[in-house]
Order: sequence, then structure tokens, then C-alpha cells
Amino acid sequence: MSTKPRVAVFDFADCEGCELQIANLEEEILDLLEIVDIVSFREVMKEHSDEYDIAIVEGSIMRPMDEKRLKYIRSKAKILVALGACATIGGVNKIRNQWMPEEVMKDVYGNAKVKGNELFNVNKTKAVNEVVPVDYYIHGCPIDRDEFKHVITALALGKKPEIPTYPVCVECKKNENVCLFERGMYCLGPITRAGCKAICPTNGSPCEGCRGLVKKAETECVWEVLERYNLSYEDIRRRCTMYNYGRAECGAQ
Amino acid sequence: MEKPVYIVSKKELDSFVNKLIADQTYEVVGVQAKGERFWFAPLENATDLRLDHDVTILPPKKYFLPQYESLMTFSLEKPFDVTPASNDKPRIIIGIHPYDIIALQQSDLVYLDDQKDDFYKKRRDNTLIIGSDIETVSDRSFAGSMNTHTVNDGFDLMLTHISTETYAVTIGSDKGKALFERYAKGTKATSQELKTIEKIRRELPTKYTQKLRLDKKKWSSVLVANYHHVIWEEKSSKCVECSSCTMVCPTCYCYDVREDVSLNLKDGKRIRTWDGCMLRDFTKVGSGEIFREEIKARYRHRFFRKGNYLPERYGFIACVGCGRCGIACLPDIADPCKLFNDLEKLPSEKETSCFFIKEKTEVGEKGIIHIPRSATIKKVAQCNELDTLFELELDDKKPLGHKPGQFVEVSVMGYGEAPFGISSPPSDKPVFEIMVRKIGNVTSKLVSLQPGDKVGIRGPLGNGFNMELFEGKNMLFVSGGTGMVPMRSLINYVTDPKHRKKYKDLIILYGAKRPKEIVFMNDVEVWKKVDNMQCELTVDRCEPNECWGGCIGLITTLFPKIRADKLDAKNTIAVVIGPPVMYKFVIKCLQTLGIPDQNIWVSLERRMKCGVGKCGHCQINGIYTCKEGPVFNYNQIKRLPEAFE
Repeated sequence: MSTKPRVAVFDFADCEGCELQIANLEEEILDLLEIVDIVSFREVMKEHSDEYDIAIVEGSIMRPMDEKRLKYIRSKAKILVALGACATIGGVNKIRNQWMPEEVMKDVYGNAKVKGNELFNVNKTKAVNEVVPVDYYIHGCPIDRDEFKHVITALALGKKPEIPTYPVCVECKKNENVCLFERGMYCLGPITRAGCKAICPTNGSPCEGCRGLVKKAETECVWEVLERYNLSYEDIRRRCTMYNYGRAECGAQ
Repeated sequence: MEKPVYIVSKKELDSFVNKLIADQTYEVVGVQAKGERFWFAPLENATDLRLDHDVTILPPKKYFLPQYESLMTFSLEKPFDVTPASNDKPRIIIGIHPYDIIALQQSDLVYLDDQKDDFYKKRRDNTLIIGSDIETVSDRSFAGSMNTHTVNDGFDLMLTHISTETYAVTIGSDKGKALFERYAKGTKATSQELKTIEKIRRELPTKYTQKLRLDKKKWSSVLVANYHHVIWEEKSSKCVECSSCTMVCPTCYCYDVREDVSLNLKDGKRIRTWDGCMLRDFTKVGSGEIFREEIKARYRHRFFRKGNYLPERYGFIACVGCGRCGIACLPDIADPCKLFNDLEKLPSEKETSCFFIKEKTEVGEKGIIHIPRSATIKKVAQCNELDTLFELELDDKKPLGHKPGQFVEVSVMGYGEAPFGISSPPSDKPVFEIMVRKIGNVTSKLVSLQPGDKVGIRGPLGNGFNMELFEGKNMLFVSGGTGMVPMRSLINYVTDPKHRKKYKDLIILYGAKRPKEIVFMNDVEVWKKVDNMQCELTVDRCEPNECWGGCIGLITTLFPKIRADKLDAKNTIAVVIGPPVMYKFVIKCLQTLGIPDQNIWVSLERRMKCGVGKCGHCQINGIYTCKEGPVFNYNQIKRLPEAFE
């Protein structure tokens, strides 16, 4: 029997872009196959097994049937890893939590007859850790491939992956970018968890907070900063809604 | 002696720079525009060079201590195959302003001290500095008030823009002279031209809009007088904790070290990367404690480091007034000029504390300070349910040569490095012992290793106990929890028949959380039989199913067992090693017994990462635990607020 950890990849409500990032390892995926046995990964293979050590779960949890499936996955896995913003923080899917599920259904499906159909039985959106315990997180929308490699090699070596607890500004400064605030733009870099190599600000786009807010995000101070740069609270709160609906005010994960 | 000065035309200067670029010996780096700001970047053509820059986003520090730097590569497949990283190509950096040259000279003192950083040293030797006198003053800079707006040395060449089409080139070194003579033609500056240069430099301070009202020489004393002032709370409450101030600072040099393993799990790299004391996890230790958790304390630390701790240690103010932090700080609270101008307005409080001690450090190991030596695990023994004792042997078969109280950094390739107190007494054999409790990546991996497996060792590091100083004295050992690990080295030394006569009565007070957490029970049994030895144990609590017939209660409950009437307190040395929470209470007990402060010795725990007083993680006020400690005389550090808080 192989001593390699068995890995299964699952998806819930998402765009599957984070799974694609794994497939995008290209030749390196051969190295990955050397160190783990992938027993289930719908995006790239037909085979499936219910015997796995590590479950990598992508996507947000929307329906009672999803919760049931996720709990089953959790019961099978020794380690559960949440993959990407939809799974780690609920991500973009949480935007609709501003409205009641019934309103959302009505808006999208109108008068179509979906009542009683389990597939359309929608709840409030949840991140994976709101349903089952999560051992490790691979943040981002999409995830950073290097960080995926870091996490998977750490797990294969039996160690705890080290994920930054500090904000994006640290990596942005190391990249020697002109600060977007100085350029008259807003940016969530000061309150967003690093680990993405500050890819957005480095390429001229503001940070949208896809890796979640840092543990002790001092949001109150950020509002003061906004004032200094002539930005409004409403403006930035809307920006936070993109990935961090419901978390901007409380500030912590 | 006056430095030779030549005059070149703008055209000649451009030609000089282009010739340097064409010469493939060097990588040529120069100041260039980056959007609305400036940065140092590889230069492809002299026309890209901007000597009229106000300030660059990052200082040239990045060429000596890169943001991400590989210290070594290792193999996970071979037992101990470690290769130190090779060095970069020689480099010429053009356009460094005087304040940044001064910042580099400061880093030299830190990185080239008794424990020299070879990576830094090679880069420094490999790099030619072509400075440029400031043409455009940054609106946030206060270098004029710091006297860092001009510089007399620290450069190979210095460029000064003296008129529209002409530059003066001051020769600062033989290397600079050779470079200039090889690639440029200039005429010797006339006395009139020399006067122009002098005038430019003399008048520069008047161009600064930011001015310091508090003389930099007074920073240190004003800080010390205001350590507990409410200003730290007020200012830091606006901090977003992004650490941008430390990231852009030319005099910040703290770093983190981590391991990157390839996806094939065959090889990996040890990476050094910039870190900052403003980040919350900077002082996090293995057991999870964060020693400077409050933002107020971190915010204050940054200014004390610049204005008091480093000045006391090295004699320089660790701020050159470049103004980068002021630009980078979103809520605008990081600027030292503003902070010290605010402090100047405060009523001066009485000077209460001293935050620095300077002690000679025993430099144990020579060689490349970051690269471990290989060692083999000889024995592995379970000490109790939580702790494993390892006997290690250095593969060069040399004795470790440590003193009780010193520590080693142990590496497991691919998993990282962690500090461990040495628990065996000094020995002339090449073996020594460490105790491992599974808490992090390194310790978890270590406990899975078997005899014959290889690990990396750096050390012995830090200061140990001076055993000769204790001769003729009674010894009182107080240890809590895993504090017994380094303490055992000391007790076994003293109780060794070879040394026993040198010390008088011995008392051991030892407390553990629970019976199953007691380490070295076998040693305890032996110690109990030693002549004139009193050995008392206690546990904080005991589960009903645990077997324990001894005392239950905190370590302080053992003190009444000491026969105070028989104890010659003035002639007793007390050594305390334990968890941070223990010290305050134990020291009070010792003082009640009448033991003078100068007879109390402690060993402190912090996150000793580099082990050589550079990375900054283990800093307690002005001292580095790894360098001035971990063993301290209580008298030396009792006034350091961060030591026992």
C-alpha cells in the first residue's frame, strides 16, 4: 500500500477557478502526483474514491443538501482544507446574504416552479468553517499556486503550513509599489491578509480583500485613513462587501 | 585629507554611466522614475538615471539585505546536504543620497560586528557606491535637522549637480578612483568650483520644510522620561498595523527566516525575508505567547529602537530623516519628526529607567553564522508523556563547548529551526543533550526522528552561567516547567563530584503543571541523595487518576519549606528559570528570604531566531535575549519593563 497521503478535491458553489489553478501547475502536477495520491478531482479526472486522508474543499455552502454532503466529506477526511475565497470566507457568494433567500429566488427564477425541488432549496451562504471544522486555509480568489504548493508540501511532510497573518501592505511594500492611496485610489491592502504577493496592487488594481480581513483588522482606523484620502465610509464598505460581506464591520474572522 | 574633486559635463557623465553599463563585470543600478515616485532599478541607459529624485520608495538596503534571500539550499533525500547560497554579481549603485549612505554605515555596525553576517559582508564588498548630493528635497524629509543631508565618507564616488550642464565628482575610495580614471575624463575642480559645492551643501538645510524642534541628541533622554506617557496610546490607536513604516525604513533590518520545500519534496531553500516589529506575531514564541502584543507597546518599541536602544548600543540615532515612513504611513503617525516635535511639547518627566545593558557576549561558534553544522542523533529517550530527551553528536566530533544556560539552534531540513536550551552539563565529549516537547513544526518532526538521523546545529549561542562566580556560595535553583531543561545542565555541573566541593549548600525548588509533566525524575532521585541538598517538588494540579504523593500548589508554595533561619541569604545565589508568568512571584519570594538582587540570576525565554543579535525577534527593550542573555543577572534587567511584564 502506498504511504502517500490520499487527496480528494471537492467543489460546492463557485466558479471552479481555484481548482483550475491546481490544474494550472502544468508539468509540476507530475511532482504533485509523486507526493500524493489524488483519488477524486472532478475537474480533471473521472475516477472517484471515498477513501481519502485530505479533503480539499472549494466553494461556499448554500443548500441543506450541500451541508449534508460536506459533513459526509468531513467524516471521511483526517484533514480538511478550505480552498479559495468561496470556501474560506464565503467570498463573492455572500453578497446575496444582504437579502432573504426567498427574495433572491424570486429575483432570479421569477415564477418558475422550483418549490419542493431540493436543488433549489437555498439558505444563507456559508463559508466551509461555518458548517464543519476546517484544519487549514488556502486563501484567495483565485488561490496563489505557490501558496497551494506550500500548503500541500507542508501537509505531505506532516507539518503545519505557515500562512501570513500580516496585511497585504507588507508584500506590497517589498514589491516597491507606489501606494494606491497616493495615486488617488482606494485599497483594502492594509486590512487584508497577505500571501498573494500583493498581485493586485502590484499590477495597478486595488486590493479587494479576497484573502479575508486580517485577524485584528483595525477597521476603525481604516475609516480615519479614508477620510484623510477623501474616501467615504460607504465607499469602502461597499468594497468590503465584494468578498467580506458581514465581516467589514466586525473586522475579525 | 581633502578628497580629490573633478568636474565633468552632463554629457561626459552620461558617457561614464553608459560605459559602466557596457562593462559586463557589474550590474549597474540607478535611481529611475517609477510612476510619480522614484526607485533603484537596473539601469539600461544613462538617460533613465534621475539624479534629481527626492527620495526612492525603498532604500538601497534591498541590495544588501534583499526582500527575499536564499541563505542555503538543502536536500531532503540526503542525510545532511546543505549548500550556502552563492553571492550576486558585483554591483554599482548610482544615485544614493547621503542619508541612505549613513543608513548603510549603520547597518555595517550591526551586520559586521563580532558575529559577522557573511551574506551581507560579501554584498557590501561587492558593491560600489556612487552617491549623489541631494538636488530635490523630499517634502517629508527632515534630513537637514538630522545632519544626514551630506556625508563625508561611505561612498566610492559622489556626484554633485553644480550647474545645468556640469557635475562635480568627489573621489571617495581607491575603487572609485580606478573606476573614474578608467571610464571618465574630468578636469580638477577649481577653488571656485569647490566653493560652489560647499555652498550647495551648506545651504541645503534651509530647503527643508520639515524641521525637528527637538535636537536628535535629546531623543534618547526624552524617550526614557516618557516611556509610560499617554502619547503612545493616543498615537497608536490610529495605527492600521500594516508595518509599512518598518518596510520602507533604511535603518530597519529585522528579518524572518523560513523554509521553502519544492513540490517534489526532494530539495528546499532557507529563505530570509524582511520582517517588522510593528507586526503582531513578531514576538510570538513557540509556546504561543506574544511578548509585545499590544499595538501601543509595538508602536513605542519602534521609536525607542531608533532613539534609545540602538543609540545606546552603537552610538548612532537609527533614523536618518529620509521621511519614507511619513510618506508610507496612511494615518500619518509614523513620522519621527512629528513624534519628537510632539514629545518636545510635553512636560518632561523624571528619568526613571535604563533600558539597555552591554555585556560581553561569548561568541561560541565561528564561521558562517546562518549555516548549521551537521550532527547525528545518538539516543532518543522518552522522558515523560510530553518530553523526549535527545543525545546529539556533532559530526566533526568536536565537543560543543558550552556553558550551562547556553542554547543551540536545531534545524531539521524542510521543517525549520528552533532554539533549545542545552540540558547536559559542559563536557569534553562531542555529545550533548536537548529536551524536546512537541509544540511546533520543528519539535513535531524532531520527536519522530530516530538514532542515526541527522539534524543541523548552530551554537552554542548566548551567554551561559559563569560557574566560577558562584563558587563558595550556597545555590538555590528555582525552576518551573521546562525551565528544568537548561537548569539540569547547571545542577548536574554543581553536583558532579568533581565540582561539588566548590559550592556550599544546595536547594532545588521545582514545580511542574502536573505530575506527568515533570522532567528528569531520574535525575531528581539522584539529586535528593547529594550531600547538603534539599530538593522540593510541587505540581500545580493533579488529576484523580494521577499518582502523586508530593506537594500540590504553585512553585511559591515551596518557599516556606526553606529553613530561612538556617539560610545564609547574603551568601546564596538563586537561579530562576521558568515560564514568563513565574518570575515576578518567585523573585518576590527570593527578596523576602533576604537574597540580594545581585545574587539572583534568571534565564529568559523569547523567540531566538537568528541567535546572533540581528533578526530582532527576541529583543527586550534595548537588549537581545540571544546575545546578552538568555542568562541575566537580575540587577541588570530589573529595570527593563519588557523583561517581566
